[in-house]
Amino acid sequence: MAAREPAKRIIQQVRPILSVDREEARQRVINLYKAWHRTAPFIVEKFDIPKSVPQVRQKLKEEFIKNKDVSDVRVIDMLVIKGQMELKEITKIWKQKGHIMRYWQESIEYKPNDFLSKFMSGHN
Amino acid sequence: MSSILRSISCGLRNGLVKNSGVFSFARRFKSEEIPEEETRPTVRKFDNVQRSNLTDFGKYVAECLPKYVQKVQLTAGDELEVLIAPDGVVPVLQFLKDHHQAQFENLVDIAGMDVPSRPYRFEIIYNLLSLRYNSRIRVKTYTDELTPIDSCNDVYKAANWYEREIWDMYGVFFANHPDLRRILTDYGFEGHPQRRDFPLSGYVELRYDDEKKRVVCEPLELAQEFRKFDLEAPWEQFPNFRHANPATEEIETGNKEEK
Amino acid sequence: MMASLIRRLPKASTSFKWIHSTSAVYADDPLKHKEAPIVENDVILSDQEVKEREKLSHLISLPKEKTLAPISGVPEEHVKTRRVRIYVPPKNAMQSGTHNIQRWRMEFDNRERWENPLMGWASSGDPLSNMNVDFNSKDEAIEHCEKNGWKWFIASEDKPKKERVKNYGVNFSWDKRTRVSTK
Repeated sequence: MAAREPAKRIIQQVRPILSVDREEARQRVINLYKAWHRTAPFIVEKFDIPKSVPQVRQKLKEEFIKNKDVSDVRVIDMLVIKGQMELKEITKIWKQKGHIMRYWQESIEYKPNDFLSKFMSGHN
Repeated sequence: MSSILRSISCGLRNGLVKNSGVFSFARRFKSEEIPEEETRPTVRKFDNVQRSNLTDFGKYVAECLPKYVQKVQLTAGDELEVLIAPDGVVPVLQFLKDHHQAQFENLVDIAGMDVPSRPYRFEIIYNLLSLRYNSRIRVKTYTDELTPIDSCNDVYKAANWYEREIWDMYGVFFANHPDLRRILTDYGFEGHPQRRDFPLSGYVELRYDDEKKRVVCEPLELAQEFRKFDLEAPWEQFPNFRHANPATEEIETGNKEEK
Repeated sequence: MMASLIRRLPKASTSFKWIHSTSAVYADDPLKHKEAPIVENDVILSDQEVKEREKLSHLISLPKEKTLAPISGVPEEHVKTRRVRIYVPPKNAMQSGTHNIQRWRMEFDNRERWENPLMGWASSGDPLSNMNVDFNSKDEAIEHCEKNGWKWFIASEDKPKKERVKNYGVNFSWDKRTRVSTK
């Protein structure tokens, strides 16, 4: 069970993707968030999903908060690019209802965690 | 590529080419001796004239673009490969396309390769074809998950979909691509399936849900797990060729290697 | 009669045409040859785009260690809860060849398997159970795991096996040619 000491913080020169510093990357994330936020009523209306606009916005916030700890500028840029692509897929209605509903992951049955539910389902 | 020289000599006879640089290039890089005809019973016999012409052309490319070309090699006997730095994709392809003695006008394919043990784990491979000289060349470069590569869409229009494929399958970002988006995977798919660390089965499975009346996406559950078969023989097949890599022969150029 | 005439005509005309072909004329004076003007690609770019490209043409400094977990596409569950075992694959128990063990391999921890109620198969919900990635050294494997955010541990000794003097078997090794036919 060897564990390595944390690597020293080595700085290296790399090619940027979209942003050259954190501030610019942050601005891009905020712009993307705004664009998604404005699209929420459109999503609810066009895709006929069983969710309300606040629920969609809540989900949107969750998805963005999930990556709040990302600090690498290029990783942020990559996430922004992927987010933009997904937004485009939605506004052009390339995605369908099922794709939109995937964000909520409603059909996933989680495995039992605590003792009682494990016992009830026959696991030990 | 043998046709290049043949056409040059034709051009000289017709007086079409007089003071172009081609004549000097052909003379300067003319190989001293052409190797003898292969007499051993091999699977495939190479055209030695063609090989020496390819070698000459590889040296010429390396001399013209010393900033970008890192290595020139012949693969499988008679396939010319030019290994370049990732910054040089557009200039090198532009050179090969527009140079009068190359005219690699067709981009046949762009391929990707993933070797997770390398610091730059992806290799991007451009296969070019020159209809004019009936010749092919392969240009290889490298990148990692985050370093963008310049899109060669301005040079070859065919690159559009190929680069989208690479983006979709490997997650390599192409800068200045006009329309970079997924091409093979489903909307909402996460991950890049051609990476070596992507499982064969994928992470999710889809099914039609009768109650919800739509397709739902769930984490994968295999009724029968894949079994791990190790079919590799524990014996070294060709101990005599342990350290040799006969598939590639490097062509000596004046450039120093950096890769 | 007619056919032979037609066949003869182009032959006669080729040499004539060759002299007056345009290529021959241009070959005499290449300067007269008009070419399409070369248009720079950047002309059609707006000022903003030019600035953007200029900005992106420089390198930026970033810390070397990378965290690619958010963009690798691996579900969060398989990043946070899994542990990677980095090891040298064991030798084949039935054969003494050692060629396929000189590498380091990463493998994920085992997850629950269950018996399929219908057929009795071994079922699993773990997509990563059959994924192997090979590396040349353990450092490469460690680096790969760290940048993907997986916890890892080393499960093999790094030092080579002690050399054992083989007295008998070596007589029959492949290059000794001690085996003779009985016929």
